[in-house]
Parts: sequence; C-alpha cells; structure tokens
Amino acid sequence: MEGLKYVGKRIPKKDAPLKATGQAVYIQDLKLPGMLYGKILYSKYPHAKILRLDVSKAAALPGVRAVLTGADVPNNFKFGFLKDNPPLKSGKVLSTRDEIAAVAAITQEIADEAVDLIEVEYEELPGIFDPIEAMKEGAALLHEETKSNVLKLPWKFVNGDVEAAKKESAFIAEDSYTTQWVTHCCLGTSGCVASFDVSNNLTIYSNTQIPSLAQNDFLEALKVFGLKNKRVRVIQNTIGGGFGSKLDTYAYEYIAILLALRTRKPVKVVFSREEEFLATSPRQPTITRISQGCDGNGKLTFREIEMVLDNGAYTSWGATTPSVMMVPISSLYKVPNIKYTAKCVYTNNTYSQAFRGYGNPQATFAIESCLDELAIKAGIDPVEIRRINANEPGEVTPQNFRITSCGLKDCIEEVVNRLDWKNKHGKRNGRGVGMASLIHVGGAARVYKSDGCGTIIKVDDNGKVDVITGSSEIGQGSETIIAQIVAEVLGVGMDDINVINNDTDVCPWDVGVHASRTTFVAGNSALGAAEKIKAQIMEIAAKNLGEPVEALDMQDGVIFSKNDREKNIPLAKVLRKAHYTLGGRMLVAENFYDPPNENFDQTFRGNLSVAYAYGTHGVEVEVDRETGQVKILNYIAAHDVGKAINPMLLEGQIYGGGLQGVGYALGERMIWDRGYLKNGNFLDYKMPTVRDIPPVQAVIVESDEQAGPFGAKGIGEPGLVPTAPAIANAVYDAVGVRIKDLPITPEKVLRALKEKEGQKV
Amino acid sequence: MGSFEYYKPESVAEAMALMEGSGGKGVYISGGTDVMVLIRQRKLSPGCLISLRNVRDLDYVDTSSGLAVGSAVTHNAIAKNDLIQKRYTALSDAASKVGSLQIRNVATMGGNICNAAPSADTACPLLVLDASVVIAGKSGERAVPIDEFFLGPNKVALGPGEIVKGFAMPAFSEKTGSAYIKHTRRQAMDLPMLGVAARVTIRIDGNEIGCRDALCTIDNISNVLKRFEDEKLVCEDARIALGVVAPRPMRAKKAETALKGKVISEGLFEEIGEIAASECQPRDSIRGEAWYRRDMVRVLTKRAILRAVDRVIRPDDTIWPERLW
Amino acid sequence: MKKEITFTLNNEKINIEADPKWTLLYVLREVLEMTGTKEGCGYGECGACTVIIDGQAVNSCLYPVMEAEGRSIVTIEGLMAKNGELDPIQKAFVDEGAVQCGFCIPGMIMSAKALLDRKPKPTDEEIKESIEGNLCRCTGYVKIIDAIKSVGGGR
Ligand SMILES: Cc1cc2nc3c(=O)[nH]c(=O)nc-3n(C[C@H](O)[C@H](O)[C@H](O)COP(=O)(O)OP(=O)(O)OC[C@H]3O[C@@H](n4cnc5c(N)ncnc54)[C@H](O)[C@@H]3O)c2cc1C
Ligand code: FES
Ligand code: FES
Repeated sequence: MEGLKYVGKRIPKKDAPLKATGQAVYIQDLKLPGMLYGKILYSKYPHAKILRLDVSKAAALPGVRAVLTGADVPNNFKFGFLKDNPPLKSGKVLSTRDEIAAVAAITQEIADEAVDLIEVEYEELPGIFDPIEAMKEGAALLHEETKSNVLKLPWKFVNGDVEAAKKESAFIAEDSYTTQWVTHCCLGTSGCVASFDVSNNLTIYSNTQIPSLAQNDFLEALKVFGLKNKRVRVIQNTIGGGFGSKLDTYAYEYIAILLALRTRKPVKVVFSREEEFLATSPRQPTITRISQGCDGNGKLTFREIEMVLDNGAYTSWGATTPSVMMVPISSLYKVPNIKYTAKCVYTNNTYSQAFRGYGNPQATFAIESCLDELAIKAGIDPVEIRRINANEPGEVTPQNFRITSCGLKDCIEEVVNRLDWKNKHGKRNGRGVGMASLIHVGGAARVYKSDGCGTIIKVDDNGKVDVITGSSEIGQGSETIIAQIVAEVLGVGMDDINVINNDTDVCPWDVGVHASRTTFVAGNSALGAAEKIKAQIMEIAAKNLGEPVEALDMQDGVIFSKNDREKNIPLAKVLRKAHYTLGGRMLVAENFYDPPNENFDQTFRGNLSVAYAYGTHGVEVEVDRETGQVKILNYIAAHDVGKAINPMLLEGQIYGGGLQGVGYALGERMIWDRGYLKNGNFLDYKMPTVRDIPPVQAVIVESDEQAGPFGAKGIGEPGLVPTAPAIANAVYDAVGVRIKDLPITPEKVLRALKEKEGQKV
Repeated sequence: MGSFEYYKPESVAEAMALMEGSGGKGVYISGGTDVMVLIRQRKLSPGCLISLRNVRDLDYVDTSSGLAVGSAVTHNAIAKNDLIQKRYTALSDAASKVGSLQIRNVATMGGNICNAAPSADTACPLLVLDASVVIAGKSGERAVPIDEFFLGPNKVALGPGEIVKGFAMPAFSEKTGSAYIKHTRRQAMDLPMLGVAARVTIRIDGNEIGCRDALCTIDNISNVLKRFEDEKLVCEDARIALGVVAPRPMRAKKAETALKGKVISEGLFEEIGEIAASECQPRDSIRGEAWYRRDMVRVLTKRAILRAVDRVIRPDDTIWPERLW
Repeated sequence: MKKEITFTLNNEKINIEADPKWTLLYVLREVLEMTGTKEGCGYGECGACTVIIDGQAVNSCLYPVMEAEGRSIVTIEGLMAKNGELDPIQKAFVDEGAVQCGFCIPGMIMSAKALLDRKPKPTDEEIKESIEGNLCRCTGYVKIIDAIKSVGGGR
C-alpha cells in the first residue's frame, strides 16, 4: 500500500470550511418563497380516547393556512415497519408523542400559537409501561387488531445444543442485564420542507439518512393519498447529526407533506429541542437474561440469551435490531453452542428506533459483563479468557459469517499494554481496569433487498471531476473519503473533485447510511467508477500521445508516459479533444456496487457482511467509595479498521463514538415515567460536555481487508459498542461490585457498595 | 406570545418608578438567564421587562470593609475576583460552577438569589458568609440577613417593586476558610443534585496557623490534619449550609453548634456530617433520590469542612494546584 | 411597538426596527437572515447560538435584542476576511479534523475566539472552560481542543 498519495492521509474534510464559516445550509436555515411553517400538537396522555377535537379557534387565527387532524389523513394511511403508525392519530392515542393535529401558518409564532388553541377532550385509559406486564396473559392490547402485545417478528437463533453444553461446562455465569433509553441528541434537530409542483410531484428537503428508501416511503404515501404515478425528489440539506435517528421516516414528514398538499405551499416542519427529545425515537431499553459457560481451560462452551425489548407504541425499523444483536451473540468470540430469542413488546412508551450500533451495544453489555463474571468463576484473568476465545481470520461462525480479516487479538493486546493491565488489574483498591470487545458488520449488512450503492463520475472540459454518489454525508466524512478514493485512482487533486450526494433526482440509489457501510460500499462503488472512467481517459490519452495504455499514468491531473515523462497531456486537454471532435463524446462512467454478502435465511444464517470489524476498549477507573462516582482515568479504544483511508476522520469517529459510549455507560438516560418524558432538555439529559471527557487514546489497528476499498472496513458504529461493559468491568475490578443496569449512576454504585458491606440504604 | 415594552433604566429609582408605572405587571430582568427561559417556556408573560443591566449602582464590588457585591455583578466577575477567591472562597467556588461560561458571562448573583430556586448555587455560600441582602424599596433601603431572605420555594422577602441592590458580607481574616461543593452528574452545564457550603474560623493556641512544612503542601488534607492533632486547632466559628435538600437553601444549625469550640479532627467532621444529614429534608426527584442526597449531605459536609480548613492551613494553593480538589 | 436600535455587527454599524420581545438570535437568523449562528435548544443549554458581545461569549438565544443597543457583536459571519481567507481559528478547526456534522461548530468557534482574543496561548483548563457550554455530539471534543490549542501554537 505504499506510494499512496491521498488514501491513508490526514486530509481535512471537504465540507469543513463551509461549516466553519457558518455557510452550510441546514434544514433550520432553509427558506423557500411562500413557505409556511408547521407545528404539531401531541397527545397529553400516554393512553386515552379522544372524545372531542375542536380546531375551529386555531383555524380562525389570522395567518393560519391549514389545520389537519387524523380525519384528514386519506385512506387510513399508516407508515412504519409494520405499517401500524398513522401520521395523525384519531380515536385513540397510545403514547405522549402521538401526533393528533397539525397546523400550517405564515410564521412559526402563529403556528405555535394556533396549536395552543386546539381543544381536545380525552378520556384517559390505563397504560402499560412495562414490557413484562405487557407480555402477560390478559394484558390490554395496544393495537386491537393484533393478538398479543408481542410483535410478530421471529427473532430466534439456535446453533448446536445449549442444554448439552451446559451439562458439560465446568463453569457457568448467569444473570440479568438491563439497559435504558438513550437518545441521539443531534445538535441539529429533525425537520423537513415539503413542496409540490403543479403536477403534484413532491420535492422534500430532508435530513434523512436513507434518501432512496425515504423516497420509496413517500411514493407509497402519495399513492395512498390518491396521487398515483408521481415523482418524489428527496434533497438533503447539510445534516446536523444522524447516528441512526434519521434511519426511518417519521410522522412529521408525512404531516409536512399533507400540509403542503392542502395549502399548495412549501411547508416546513422543524422540531424544537423539546420535540426532538419527545418525538424522535431512542435506542430501545432491553432486559437480557444471559448465561455463558466455559470448560476447565476457559474455552467457551455456550451462550444463551433471552431478551425483551420495549418497542413502544408503534413499530419502526428499530424492531429489527435483534437481527444485529445476533452478530455479537453468535459471533463475538468463538462459541459453539448458541441460543437466542428476542421479543419486541408494545407498550405505551415512546417507540424505539436505530441508534449507532443498532442493538449491538445492548447485547455487548450483557455478553461482556457476563464474560468477566465467568472469568471470575473460572479463576481466569479477564484478558486470558478473551485471548483464548478470540476470533481469528478464516473462521466461520455459527451464523455462517465468514471472517476474513480480524484484528481482535491485536486490539486486545493494545489495550493490555497501554493500560498496564498486569500491574493494575485485581487490586480492588478503588482503582480498577476493565475491558470489553466488539464485533460489528464492517463490510455492509444485507438487511434490505439490495445493499448497493451507485456512483456516477463525469469529467468536464476543464478536467474537473464530478462524483455523484448515492451515499449521504451526515458528518461522518463520506464525502471526503469518496473524494480521496477517486483522487487516488485517477491521479487528480482533491480540489478538482466535487462530490454530489444529496439529491435523488441526480444521485444513484443507495440503501442508506447505516451498518457502518458507507466507506466500504460507497467507497467500493466509487473505486469501480473511478477505474472505469480512468480506462476511458487513458484510452483517449493513449491515442493522443501515441503510447500504449499500459505505459500511461496520471498524476495531479496530467497524463504521462511512464517511459518518457516528456510525453504528457493534461486531463482537461484529453477531455476537450474527445469532446470537440466530430462525433465527440463526454466522459461519464457509472458503477453500481452491491457487495457479495447474503441475506439471512430462515434460521438467521448467512454471511451478512463481506467483512467484520473488531475492536477492544479498555478503561481504568477510580471509584469514590463515599459518593459512588466513577471517574475514568484512562481510556484506550483500539479498533481494527482494515485500513484507515483517513486516520484523522477515523479518529474523530472513535473519539465521538467513545464519548457517546461513556455517556451511555455513566449518565445518559431518558426518564420516561409512566409514559411521560421527564428530562427532555439538555440540562437534565446528561450528555457529556467537554469537562466530562476522559484522557483517551484512539488506537488504529490495520488488518487490510481484501474486499474493502484499499483494505478498509467500517468504523461508524463500533466506537461506542464496548464502552459500557468495559467500564462496568473496571468498576467491578476497582471495588468489587457489578452494576448490571445501565447507566452506572453514583446511586447504583453506592447502593451496591453498601449492600456489599451489609449496610442498609 | 404577546409583545411587551423593554425598559432600560439607569438608576434604581428610575427602575422602581417604571415598575410602579407598570401596575405591578412588569418584571425585572438582569442577566435574563432565568427570565428569558421562563418567557420562552410561556410560564411568564410580562407586561414589560425592566432591565437592571444598565443600572450603574448595582454593578460594584467593594472590598473596603468586608465585601459588598452589587446584584448585577455576573458570576464570572465573581469567580475571577482575586479577593473573593482568597477570602470568600465558597462564593467563587459556586460562581465558577454555574452553568457554563456563556451563562456566567451574563447571569448575575442578584438574579440567582431573587429567583429563589432551591438549587441556586450562590445561596449556600452567602448563607455561610453571613451575607445580608441590601434591598431598595419605596421607603428607602433595608438590609435583611440572607437566612431571612429565603422564604420558601421561589419565594423571597421582597415587597412589590423592591430591588435587591447587593449583598454585604463581613470581613474575614486569614483564619477563616470556606468552601462550596456542588454535587453534579456532569462536570459542567449542570444544576446541583445538592450543594454544601462550609465556613470555619480556626484558632490555634499560641502559634500562627499555616502549613510551613514542605511535605505538608502536597499531602492529602487528612494526613496534614494529623500533624496538627496535638496542637489543638480549635474551630472557633462555623457555618454550614445545604442546598436542594429542603424547600429552601438552609443552614445546618445543629451541625454548626456541634462543630463550634471543638478541637478539629477528621473524626469530628464525620460526626458533623451525620448531624447535617439528619437536619435536611431531601426529596426524590428526577435529579436525584432522597436517600442518596441525604447520604451525600453527610459525605460532602465532611469534605466541605475539610476543604475550608485546608484553605486556612494551606492558603498557598497556587503553588500546588494539583493537590487541590 | 417596534423600536429602532443601533449596534455594531461584525464591525459595521447596523440599525434595525426590533420588537422588544425578540432575542438577539431571532434577529440574526430571522430578521437579518444570518443563519451561521445556530439554534440548538433556545434555552442556553447547548451553546450553538454563541456570539461575542463586547468581547465575551454569550448565548444569543437568551439575549434580549434590546440590550444589543450600542454594543459590538461579532458572529461567525464576521470571522472570515473580506478576501475569503479563513480566520486562523476556522482554519485550525478545518485542518485538525474538528468538524463533523458542523452544527455545533459556529458556536464552538465563537467561544474559542472569545478566549483566544483575550488569551492567545490558553491552557487546557482555559480551553475547556471556554467551550464547556458548547455541546457537541459528534466529535468527543478531542479534536476541537486540539484545534484551539494549535492556534495558540500549543501543538
Ligand atoms: C443553561 C443554564 C444553566 C444554569 N445553570 C445554573 C447553575 O448551575 N446554578 C445556578 O444556580 N443557576 C443556574 N442557572 C440559572 C440562572 O442562570 C441563575 O439563577 C442566574 O444567576 C440568574 O441570574 P440572571 O441575572 O440571569 O437572572 P434573571 O433571569 O435576570 O432574573 C432572575 C429573577 O430574579 C429577578 N431579579 C433579578 N435581579 C433582581 C434584582 N436586582 N432585584 C430584584 N429582583 C431581581 C428577576 O425578576 C427574575 O425573577 C442556569 C440557567 C441556564 C439557562
Ligand atoms: S441555542 Fe442558545 S444555547 Fe442552545
Ligand atoms: S460536529 Fe456535530 S455536534 Fe459538533
């Protein structure tokens, strides 16, 4: 991999100057001529009948252009993974984030005021807020048309014989672990602007992470609304953070569409911060029963997990997180016998969704905490049990994942050395060290019919290159990574490459920014397109220079003969020669890359990803025995990334992910109290500030993934996956108490310490 | 939101006249970090806002005798003031921990106290520093001891239209030290789960106090105290105040009494912590559980006293900042 | 009810008709259409709206515009030179990889600028103090600190 000029380099993000000068246009900043402002009214109760809904006062307010209620949603339209979610609810509300009416007005202030004028009379109904309660025989059904509050989704994976393995195990650790709701806290709130043209084609400005799938969702909606055969154009503004929150379409988008349709004006709906907390979908809470065993030498024999997920009142793509939870459950470390079941359960809580890691953090918290418990039972150092069972290249896991590159062992050793594990572990003196590892999809994930991404490259008369990609930039840096790859293949400078990535009218299809797939899939797609256009360029240049194609190379936008540097021609000239000639042509290449991974079969087997990403986090903590506070003294995050296309951006992903992991572990939680959100603001929701960052080292381990573009694998999500169990394990090492319920608050630590000493609290 | 006038008086008298003219519908605004939030949340719809930001006679820090601070002085100005850092340390501890720097650049101590939130960070320091509140009203000025100023949650002893001019505190010698500990879940941008302030005045029979021993300067305070054990460091005077664990910021008077006149030792402070814990009335809230708050009163009272004592015997904390808290 | 007020914005005198209930942020974004200053919460809790008023970093979402009268205000739009050259702080954020989604960045840069104007070579502690009111969800703050440090020649 030597002699690379752009790949592997710390190249600043292409869009950074725009953002650093305040010129980037986010959805908040967008104003269209004649645009109206929308506002949504949410339910006052988590479960209630709507007896009366009177919008007359709101409609009469000067400046109001439309008021919609559930009755205005055509043909009983519902959206979501199980199509159980009407954009405006009528008859009954199932959660406090249920949308029941919406207003469009000429200013935001008028829209806000109008919403306050809507009169609603409710009859409150008893709610179900605990998934365990909701699963009980005879529990009231949230959705009457279903037979049970348990979603009909078949989450079950079995390999080998767990019962037999249990009998043969020398040691078994078994316990329950629970996790909380956490929310993305994108600094830019959600929003969109919907607008129809005279023929009822829809343009929607959105900060979605899934333009192509959203386009599809909106097309379907239009069909139900009676607008058949229309076009939908999704344009993404600069996106103020994603992290999975924009991986599904939301009610507010359909509401904006309906308001735009009714008023024939562009309608903007942008969430306030309160709404962002209330009405975007958090990471789901889980209750996990886990048991793992090993033989006398510490080799893992089985892993059994039963999980219950609080789905909330409606179903998004988030209900498929158990499919990704299966990745660590079946394949983190070598475990021959596996049994996993998961149930997603309707409750009157907020409905859950995707958040960085897509179920993996919850599963890994249970697995890696329990693994330490097992090590303790077996009398083995936690490092040792991980070494013994670490995954390796060439392995085929129980789910039929074909492990290609795998740097897990290297990651473990990085953590051991940098933490000084030998000297620090096992002291129980208020300071302790802990570690945890992760596996995640690192070469896409076939969760949809296609896992592909298209790229079009064109070169203009001046030798400038336009790369039109399906993949979206949500801050992670895909635009820059793609430009680096194209620059490397073509031999043109970064500044001569323009990446277009935000308009479905222009950009080819892509399944979306998820599964840490963008560098891998969009990168490979761009790589292929770049190679194709390079072939075209070289063919013409060869004719011009009178040299064979094989003798040619390009650097800094100049094509030259490797035999004789004097024989050269600038790219722009090649272009013009091809263009301005009889029967001229322009240079355009197209490439659609769909990775050779597999959908799961009925038994949830199949090579979900072309490559798998690994990593290990290690922390040293100090626990204040009197206050229960946990302080991180040192934090090592080692990740096997295949190859770092841009180490600077990659470190940014690790630091950013790592701090989200610290928040998840130590402080963040949404407090939903019987259906009401109690801490929907930045003061009470404890997302870490700059004062809360621990000393952290991002360690990049390169394993050169053959299938990846220039050897790269995904890193978008892994950064936060093993943080919480690493911290929990370190707390145990420091003071001998195990916190099995996230977040690890001072109260929980102190309570556990007191209980350990036989004191009452 | 209805519109309103925004007045910018330049004197206290003018401000009070404007308030009177508003028929009591006006609201004073200083830094506005509470008022503007309430307006946005539509919990407050003022007839008019009367700004105190430009009132010259509210913006002063006078150290000629004791400490007098105008109500419009910002938290940042308090936090960065040398004398306050030295002699009224509990106050600078608190002011430097309010919200964020952006908030501290505009938010004032007057606003903090008049808002009367049980979580107001500067309340406990003012209680232990024996502050009195200087109030301007129609019938002239009066001074109210801070302990009598807090009446209950969001209620203070201000008559209609009255303005807090500032706060006056007595002079303290180098034998007095104070500290405020704000217990939070985050290290910035957080309201206290609870707050504890302590002030002690120390007497040592004969010798001058102060730690001259080089070793002493880096050791932890518990060990340092052991060196003093025979020398009978006596707590001559003490104040302890607790925030967020009662309907209003409160003094832990039983604990204070138990501390006064005693020979200083860490063991004593443990007891004092327990007494303070028994005096407070914390409640469960989303910001913290009652049992935990009570237990933290115990722990942090001890620590706050230790810190206050430390500041007397090792005043030179600029040399060894890393040993500090 | 609108009132005329005058203040200095990015070194230029400006005169507007303001409704007394407006915040400075509202005026910047909605009236003057200078959308570089962001609103992340509207409650003083995130710092995305940070501007510099008379040398100090302030949350413009809580700042009554009537108080702007006679003061000097600098926003993110005022940093870039007229010839398009970035301010050294902006350049540092770009070069150090401190920008991800970018939404927090204008506020971060203004907080950092207020510090660096006062203290060209700040300590780590001062850097953290200066941006403790600026939430960022993307970066983990590490590279933001690096960027600020690099301006003062600290790296
Ligand atoms: C993001 C954020 C974080 C915060 N963090 C903290 C924190 O950590 N700790 C903390 O204690 N507080 C915190 N606060 C609350 C607030 O900042 C403080 O209470 C601040 O000191 C209030 O001062 P102000 O000048 O802004 O008050 P204002 O909002 O101007 O006024 C507050 C109240 O006092 C009245 N008032 C003000 N001055 C006078 C006067 N001179 N005479 C009579 N009445 C007067 C006003 O009418 C109003 O009712 C925070 C607020 C925000 C928005
Ligand atoms: S918008 Fe002003 S602090 Fe968040
Ligand atoms: S860069 Fe996205 S919030 Fe800071």
